[in-house]
Amino acid sequence: MNILTMLWKNLWGGSRTMLFPARPIVSERYRGLVRFDPALCSGCAICRMRCTARAIEFKAGKGEFTWSYEPGQCTFCGRCVEGCKEHALSQDSECPPIYTTPGELKKSYTIARKQTVKPAVVPATAAVAGQIEQAANPATGGAQ
Amino acid sequence: MMTPEIWGSLTTALARLLIFPGLLFAVPAAWFFLWVERKAVARMQGRIGPPFMQPFYDFIKLLGKDTPQRTGVGGMLMKAWPLIAVSAAAGAVGLLPVLPASGGFQGDLILLLALLELPSMCIIAAGFSSRSIFGEIGSSREAVLSVSYNVVFLLAIISIAASQHTFSLSALAQLPASPLRWLGIAAILVCLPAKLHLNPFSLPNAEQEIYSGPMVEYAGPELAMWELSHGLEWVAATGLVATLIVPAFTLWWIAALVFVALSFVIVLLLSVTAAATARLQIDTTVRFYWQCTIIFAVLAVASALFMRLKA
Amino acid sequence: MKLWSKLMCYCRSRSPWIFHMNSGSCNGCDIEIVASLSPRYDAEQLGVRLEGSPRHADILCVTGPVTHNAVQAIKTVYGQVYGPKAVVAIGSCPATTNVFIDSRTLAGPLHKHIPVDVFVPGCPPRPDAIVLGIAKAAQILAARGSKPLVAAAEPEIVGDPGENCVSCACSSSEVQA
Repeated sequence: MNILTMLWKNLWGGSRTMLFPARPIVSERYRGLVRFDPALCSGCAICRMRCTARAIEFKAGKGEFTWSYEPGQCTFCGRCVEGCKEHALSQDSECPPIYTTPGELKKSYTIARKQTVKPAVVPATAAVAGQIEQAANPATGGAQ
Repeated sequence: MMTPEIWGSLTTALARLLIFPGLLFAVPAAWFFLWVERKAVARMQGRIGPPFMQPFYDFIKLLGKDTPQRTGVGGMLMKAWPLIAVSAAAGAVGLLPVLPASGGFQGDLILLLALLELPSMCIIAAGFSSRSIFGEIGSSREAVLSVSYNVVFLLAIISIAASQHTFSLSALAQLPASPLRWLGIAAILVCLPAKLHLNPFSLPNAEQEIYSGPMVEYAGPELAMWELSHGLEWVAATGLVATLIVPAFTLWWIAALVFVALSFVIVLLLSVTAAATARLQIDTTVRFYWQCTIIFAVLAVASALFMRLKA
Repeated sequence: MKLWSKLMCYCRSRSPWIFHMNSGSCNGCDIEIVASLSPRYDAEQLGVRLEGSPRHADILCVTGPVTHNAVQAIKTVYGQVYGPKAVVAIGSCPATTNVFIDSRTLAGPLHKHIPVDVFVPGCPPRPDAIVLGIAKAAQILAARGSKPLVAAAEPEIVGDPGENCVSCACSSSEVQA
């Protein structure tokens, strides 16, 4: 008799179906498409090393590098996001879209390397004098 | 030598076969009943189910698929089985005594039972003639199922008919109500899920288990014919029970409306049974029909003999 | 007849029958296909029916990176599907072999062996994404018309309307329940 009451309740209680084009809202921790922010990337290629499926490709050039991501190859594990020191990668709560041609979704970015700040050049005589002074006084630190 | 009576009965017969309750009514009714079953089962399972015209879309789509190339006598046979099944089911629907003045002949009950049995026979033959192992398994299951429920089904109907000394369907439809008739109707209702391949007796077309069983090699327009014969079997079987239940009306349109309404109610009842149960194995099925429901048939035969001896 | 072709095009997009084949998958995508037929996502509202025999189906849904053992089976089953047909590659594995990219037991992504129409990426893809992929394949199928049964591995231009297609309203994805 239990099954008959269940069927009766289902018949009048309405269906739990989402009507076709509607899609459910996913939770915050859902591992979806990987988002890349080119402004924050420093070109360390740790993400390419950590990627399990070779979805991330990194090509170093002179003064610039090319970073590309293929959502069709990706397995959405999140290792690249966890490994990025600059927090340039984040995972969306958006499912990857369906596509009809292989390789259609691949995105490439060519980013110029950032100019790093070089240390100031000290004149040669002052440097040598500073070294002799330091060598004569073993109590000070010296080179580690 | 076409006397007016022969001409009149010929047109009546053609009207019954082609218009009502024949093809013109039965084919849309078949699609409607198929949709009702799918929608009711879906709603009871908590989901939406297909839109209203879905069996029609399926039928047209199947007509447009490529036809398989079949060669030789075996191929000709394979092409013939679905056509025989559709014609038998359509003929069975045409024989139903829905309208009060529809004529008929002594013995058309036997013809109706034979025509109702032919689609199952065609499924069995089709499974074996497709020379595929899945077809053979499905066909042997269908054959065992047919043997098991037919005992109860035929005993119930024949006892109702024999108790009144008649084998004419129109005379049966106008019988006074009696406990024997309700017993027979209950026995036939119990056999209907097996006849129509519904849960809990849906073993022959176990989709994922034996790759659709007897139908495994059929495609395109042939599959459309099989689906249509299945739908017409629905109309014929539920219509038979409806004509046995409904009392005799004089106005033809009231009789037709009540017939359709009662068939609809029986379809809903069968859908509830299909949604509430799971598929039984073949030995449980045979045990169910030969041990549990045989009591219905035995009671029906006993009361038929009793009524004959009393009369 | 133009009316018949229009009717056929409309009905083909409204009645996609699928056959599911696993070519070496981990079963995650297979479970999500079954989930897409469950009450919450209900693919049957689009007329989808999971068929038992490939001869009954229009759309072949393939999961799994194609292993060496499965290549011949995939080609055979693809040849057994009649009439206008479409192929949906479900999951990232049949599209690009995903994490198994260096494995020596694989025979490459699916579109090397049979023409694929729709790719549904994800590992595993969500059931609503699978339903969306099947709906898109049904639209492609309706636009394709009927071509004679030819051997597999013929690259087909996706989305190319066949000669029979009269532009009907079959590209709208609304469902009347």
